[in-house]
Amino acid sequence: MTRAIDIGLVACESCELVMRAGDPITGTCPRCGERIQRRKPRSIMRPLAYLIAAAALYVPANTLPIMVAEQFPLRRSDTILSGIAFLWHEGSWLLAALVFSASILVPMLKLAALGTLLVTSALRSAWRPRGRTKLYRVLEVVGHWSMLDVFVVALLAAVVQLGRFASIEPGPAVVPFAGVVVLTMLASASFDPRAIWDRVGPRSEYGRK
Amino acid sequence: MGANENEFPVPVVHTHKRGRLSVVWIVPILAIVAAGALAIRTYLRIGPTIYITFDNADGIEAGKSEVRFKNVPVGKVTAVDISSDNKRIVASVELTHGGAGLAVSDSQFWVERPRIGVGGVSGLGTLLSGAFIQLDVGTSTRREDNFVGLEKPPGVTHDQQGKRFRLTASDAGSLAAQSPVYLLRTKVGTITSLELAQDGKSVDIDIFVYAPYDRLVSVNAVFWNASGLDVTLDASGLRVNTQSLATVVAGGVAFGIRDPNVIGKPAAEATKFALFEDRSHAFKSPDEGGFPLAMRFHQPIRGLGNGIGVNIEFEGLHIGDVVAVRPGYDIPTQSFFFDVDARVFPQRLGAAYVSLVEEGASSGKTGPQMLQAMVARGLRAQLRSGNILTGSFFIALDWFPAERGKSALPPAQDGVWVVPTVRGGTEQIQDTVASILAKVDKIPFDAIGGDVHDASRAAATLLGHIDQDVVPQAQALFGRAQGAMEALREGITSLRDNYAASDSPLQQSARTTLEQLERAAFAMRGLADYIHTHPESLLRGRSPGHQPKASP
Repeated sequence: MTRAIDIGLVACESCELVMRAGDPITGTCPRCGERIQRRKPRSIMRPLAYLIAAAALYVPANTLPIMVAEQFPLRRSDTILSGIAFLWHEGSWLLAALVFSASILVPMLKLAALGTLLVTSALRSAWRPRGRTKLYRVLEVVGHWSMLDVFVVALLAAVVQLGRFASIEPGPAVVPFAGVVVLTMLASASFDPRAIWDRVGPRSEYGRK
Repeated sequence: MGANENEFPVPVVHTHKRGRLSVVWIVPILAIVAAGALAIRTYLRIGPTIYITFDNADGIEAGKSEVRFKNVPVGKVTAVDISSDNKRIVASVELTHGGAGLAVSDSQFWVERPRIGVGGVSGLGTLLSGAFIQLDVGTSTRREDNFVGLEKPPGVTHDQQGKRFRLTASDAGSLAAQSPVYLLRTKVGTITSLELAQDGKSVDIDIFVYAPYDRLVSVNAVFWNASGLDVTLDASGLRVNTQSLATVVAGGVAFGIRDPNVIGKPAAEATKFALFEDRSHAFKSPDEGGFPLAMRFHQPIRGLGNGIGVNIEFEGLHIGDVVAVRPGYDIPTQSFFFDVDARVFPQRLGAAYVSLVEEGASSGKTGPQMLQAMVARGLRAQLRSGNILTGSFFIALDWFPAERGKSALPPAQDGVWVVPTVRGGTEQIQDTVASILAKVDKIPFDAIGGDVHDASRAAATLLGHIDQDVVPQAQALFGRAQGAMEALREGITSLRDNYAASDSPLQQSARTTLEQLERAAFAMRGLADYIHTHPESLLRGRSPGHQPKASP
C-alpha cells in the first residue's frame, strides 16, 4: 500500500490540488492559499493536551450539582447521576436512558476512544487501523450530542423562573461539563486520523489481517 | 515515480518557527487548575460527618432532610441506618464546613415536626418542607461525632439567657415539660424536664427562668403548682383562681415571695426549691421542726378516711396534719382502738408560741411537760365533724373543763407527744340520739294501743247507758230546774224592789250610817292634825290659845 507521501506527493486539504511534497513539507497551496501540511501539526500532542484537560474537568462535572431546582420550600440540587437516578425513580426510564447516554456514556466513550486512538497512534501501533478509523468517525458523529445536558439546563434555567415558588438555576458543574464537551470536540478535531495509518506499514492489508 | 515529479506544483514555502512546546498545553494546565480549585472549594465546604440516633426515622430522609441551626441549613442527612442493636436509627449527617463547629458534645438535636400543643403551634413550615433536624449548639468546646437525638424539642436552647432551677414536688400533677412558669401571672419561664426522683418518692422538675426575670427568683422564693383551677368557697364567697387559661389544661408553676419585706438575694443557678401543691400551702409559714403527736381514739373514725392530711386544729387554728392512722386491738379490754399519728407545728401559733417557749424556758419545763400541764388543765383531742355536707372530720385540740385535773396521760412514747382523747362531738350526739331512740324503742306502743282501744270501748258502752237512762231523767231535771229558776227570778225582783229603790228602808238607814261615819272620820282627822302640830298636848293637854283647826 502506498501513501501519497511515500511517492512525494501532498494534497491541498481545501482544493484537493496535488502538489509535490518538499522537504520539509510546509507552505501554502499555490491555488487556494490553504496551508499545506502533510499531517495536522502535533496531531498527537495537541489532542492529548485537550484530552487531559477534558479528563480533569470530567471529575467536577460529575460530582458537583449541575442543576439546583427550587420548588418552595424544597430545594434540591442534583448532580448528573443523581438527576438520572431521580428520573429513573420517577418512572421516566426513557428520559433517564437518554440523559444517561448523552451525559455520561457519550463523554466517557469519547474520552476513552480518544485516549485509545492517541495512545495507539503515539505508539505507532498497527492494531486494527480500520476499526480505529471507524471509531474516529463514530466519535465525530456522536460528539454533536454531548452538549445535551448543558442545553437542557440552560433552557430550564431560562424558562422556569417563577419567583420564589419555583426556579431552576445551573449548578457549579455546568461550566466544567461544557468544558469537557468542548475540549473533547477540540481533541477529536485536532486529531488527524491519517496518523492511524502512518505507521501501519506498506504490507498491511488495510488493517485486515 | 520520479518521471512525473515535475507535473505537480510545489507548495509555497514559508519559514515557520515552532517551539518545541505547544501553547496548547496551557489548556490542560488551566483545566487541571480549575478542576482542582473546584475540588478544593467543594472539599472545604464539606464539614465532618456526625451520627445522630433517634427512636425512629419518621420524616427523616436520606439525601433530603436538612440539619438546621436557627433555621439556617448547616448539614444534610446522607444516610439513615438501623443502629447495631436494632433499637434505634442512626442518621448520618454531613455538616457543612461552617456547621462543623456546631457539633460539640453538649449540642442537642431533635426532629422538627408540626406540633400542636397548648402553648401554641410550632413547626408548621415542616408541613410543606418535610421534617428537618434542628440543632441547638452547646457551650462545650469539645468536638463530638456521635449524638443522641431528642424526641421532643428542648424547652430551652443554649443561647437562651436565664437560669435553671430544680424543684422537688410530691407529685407532678398535670405538669409536663414546657409547662410555663409564672410570676404574677406573667410567663417568665418554662419547665424543661420533669422526671421521677431516683427513689421514686418525689418528682424532680427542672425549670428555666428567662433573663431578666431570673434574678427575681430569690433565695426566699416559694414555688407552687398553679395547675388547674383553684376554687375557694369561704365567707367572702366563691373565688376561682387560675394563672391563665392555659394552665387549666397544661398546668404550670408559679412562684412568689412569701414576705415582700424579706426578698433576699437572687438565687444561684441550679438552686433547689420545694414545689408546694398550691398557693396557700406555699404561703403558709414555713414548717420547720414540728412535733409528732399521738392520739388514741376509742371510737370509730369514720370521716377521717385514711387520715392522711386531716387537719389538727388547736382552738380553731390549723396547726398540723394527720400523717397516719393505725387500727389496734387492746387485748386486756378486748376493744378496738385507733392510733392517730400527727405532726403539729406549734410555730404556727406565732407570738403565742414564742410566749410559750419563754414560759417553758423560765419554768424549766420541756415541751412534753408543758403539754402535760395543758392536759391537766383539760386539753383533749376530739374528733369533730368539719363539714356536715361532706362528712369530713378534723381533730380538734380543745379545752374540756370536765376533764380538768384528770391527767390521764397515756405512757409517752419516745419523743412523741401524747394527747388523750375524748369522744367526739358528733359521736356524743350520736350516742345520745341512740340512747333516746333506745328508750323510745322500749315504750310498749302495742300494749298502749290495746289499752286505748279498751278504754274507748268502755266509753262507748257508758255513752249508751247515758243515752238510755240518764237523758230522760235529765230532761225531767231540766224541767224542774226551769221552775226553780223562775222562782229565783221572782225572789230577786222582790229583793230589788225592797233594797235597791232609793226610798227603800234599807237604803235610808244605810245612808244615815254612812253620814255618821263621815263625820266621825272628820273629827278624827282634826284630832290627828292637832296632835301632829302639838305633840306636847298628848301630855299636857290642850293649850288654851289653840283651837284645833277643823277643816270644813
